[in-house]
Amino acid sequence: MSELLFYAMAVIALLGGLGVIFSKSPMGSVLSLLGSFFALAVIYLLAGFHFMAAVQILVYAGAIMVLFLFVIMLLNLGGMGTRFELSAAPLTRARSQIAAAVAAGVGLAGLIAVQRASLPRIAQGGAPERIDDINQIAIALFGRYSLPFQAVSVLLLTTMVAVLVLAKRRTRESGQ
Amino acid sequence: MNASVLKTLFSDAAYAALAPLFALGIGALAVLVAGLFPLGKVARAVLVLLTLLAAAALNVGMLLGDSVPGLVLDGTFVADRTTAMWGVIFTIGVGLAWLFSRHYYDEDASHQNEHDVLMLASALGMSLMAGARDLIVFFIGLELLSIPLYALAAFRRNRAKSVEAGLKYFLLGAFAAGFFLYGSALIYAVSGTLKLDVFADPASRAKILESPMALVGVAMLTGSLFFKISVFPFHLWVPDVYEGSPTPVTGLMATGTKAAAFAFLLNALLALPSSTSTSLAIIALITMALGNLGALVQQDVKRMLAYSGIAHAGVVLLGIAGAVAGDPKQGGAVQAALFYMAAYVATAGGAFGVLALLERDGERMTTLEGLKGLGQRRPYLAAALTVFMLSLAGIPATGGFLGKWMVFSVAVRAEMIPAAVVGVLLSVVALGYYLRVIIAMWMQEPGEDSPLASTRAIALPATLASAACVALVLVMGLAPRWFLDHM
Repeated sequence: MSELLFYAMAVIALLGGLGVIFSKSPMGSVLSLLGSFFALAVIYLLAGFHFMAAVQILVYAGAIMVLFLFVIMLLNLGGMGTRFELSAAPLTRARSQIAAAVAAGVGLAGLIAVQRASLPRIAQGGAPERIDDINQIAIALFGRYSLPFQAVSVLLLTTMVAVLVLAKRRTRESGQ
Repeated sequence: MNASVLKTLFSDAAYAALAPLFALGIGALAVLVAGLFPLGKVARAVLVLLTLLAAAALNVGMLLGDSVPGLVLDGTFVADRTTAMWGVIFTIGVGLAWLFSRHYYDEDASHQNEHDVLMLASALGMSLMAGARDLIVFFIGLELLSIPLYALAAFRRNRAKSVEAGLKYFLLGAFAAGFFLYGSALIYAVSGTLKLDVFADPASRAKILESPMALVGVAMLTGSLFFKISVFPFHLWVPDVYEGSPTPVTGLMATGTKAAAFAFLLNALLALPSSTSTSLAIIALITMALGNLGALVQQDVKRMLAYSGIAHAGVVLLGIAGAVAGDPKQGGAVQAALFYMAAYVATAGGAFGVLALLERDGERMTTLEGLKGLGQRRPYLAAALTVFMLSLAGIPATGGFLGKWMVFSVAVRAEMIPAAVVGVLLSVVALGYYLRVIIAMWMQEPGEDSPLASTRAIALPATLASAACVALVLVMGLAPRWFLDHM
């Protein structure tokens, strides 16, 4: 049963991913991505990562996707439809097909290589500690991973500053 | 995990190790907040300078001190003399870019405050990268360095080239970041840890690298690092991005990013088996060839320096290949790379700075045509640029020469004689385009229609910065003892 569910969700996640690329309208892309995220969350649940599943829904589906939707609706990109055409000189149809073929070939070769070789189990460190427990996550986050955790806050702040610099209308410029 | 574990985690050593990072972080925040208040330009500049000086002083303290914190925070971050030296190099690189940017944006001076915050944040990212012994810490450092640079590259939003540079750098950088994360995930899946020290023990390294998954992971990691240091085949973005970005930012990209990525790459060498040394050397030589040959045909000096930067990355990579092959001198490659990058930061930082000074009130001042006759009009600037060109070419008595000599001797010690010979020959090719700049400046009269370089007086910060660069290049070339003793 759970195996069946896993395959169903994996197929949905993949279809969602394909939908993001092939959808003609940005709105369709966003909704496909949303479907893909939900399918992934179910896979996490199946694997026993309840916290991760909840975070996946809350953060990705809840926050990030809503942000995407807002941006699309505010900028009124929804109607752009078929105007997204790959007609720019470096992205001719033939070239992108070659690129896609090469990427697919490399991916396939990688898959075959991984399939053929026996995967060694975790080389050292033994079984990972039970990470799907809010208590454990907090201890890891504020203990062992406190440096990256704090650095991320600086990173987010810097990103905000960077985005503001690029996005804000400059008084001098608009005056010209 | 109980209190005592936390105590060992957050020991005094950990705080000492992170002190330069705290200085940069707090300084960046202070500059950001200072933007809220009607402080004068000078007060803000003092704040930035104090931040950089504090970080540099803390690093120098670590260099000269009796003991260093070493590995802290459960082995995810290291602070020793090498990282302290890198820290000094980073603050010099960022300081130079900042000084040269002072009067660069005169026609559009808004957001100067945010500009400075972004520069300080990128310095923080570099220090994080250099000390990282864990892939997560490194990745966050990498992003903390890259994201400000994406914005800084596109800082002159009203210039199409600047926006193009920012977008190109951002898109390719985002892909490189994706590769890095995917590679880390694969390595984690095999080894169960993100710490680099699993690779220190040859037995566990061999076991991890048995798995094709880990090999793919290491390849992805290497690819994304090669992107940052602009090594073949990930170098194609460099000329466009370097040309389009504001010149002081280009200087920061050329010096800081490269130095930080090499700092980590030297740490990550442990992960590479010695069998990869031949392919590394071949990649290094191809990079040098492409960079030098590409530079030969450029008319724009900024673009030429971009290609020359590719060639210089190839040289350091050759040293790294030598270290992977087994350099009998312990830490020889680290020392060589440190010295090389220190000289390169002073040289390329200075060269881009001088170009920024020439460029600021004329659009196309950075062509060879525009440099003609500069020796008569601006003798001091021309002299400084001459010193930088000679150092980039690796002429004796400059820091560039000694750096090259040290890197090539790593390759020779590792018995990669043919590679070293080809490398030296390629460096001779490089003389061709560096000398062209010198000839244009001193031996050619300005043409009829060649644009006249700026006649404006040069501001104090830029004068100080160029003088400091020239001094550094010459001191590193003539009296390198101090640097070598402290590396």
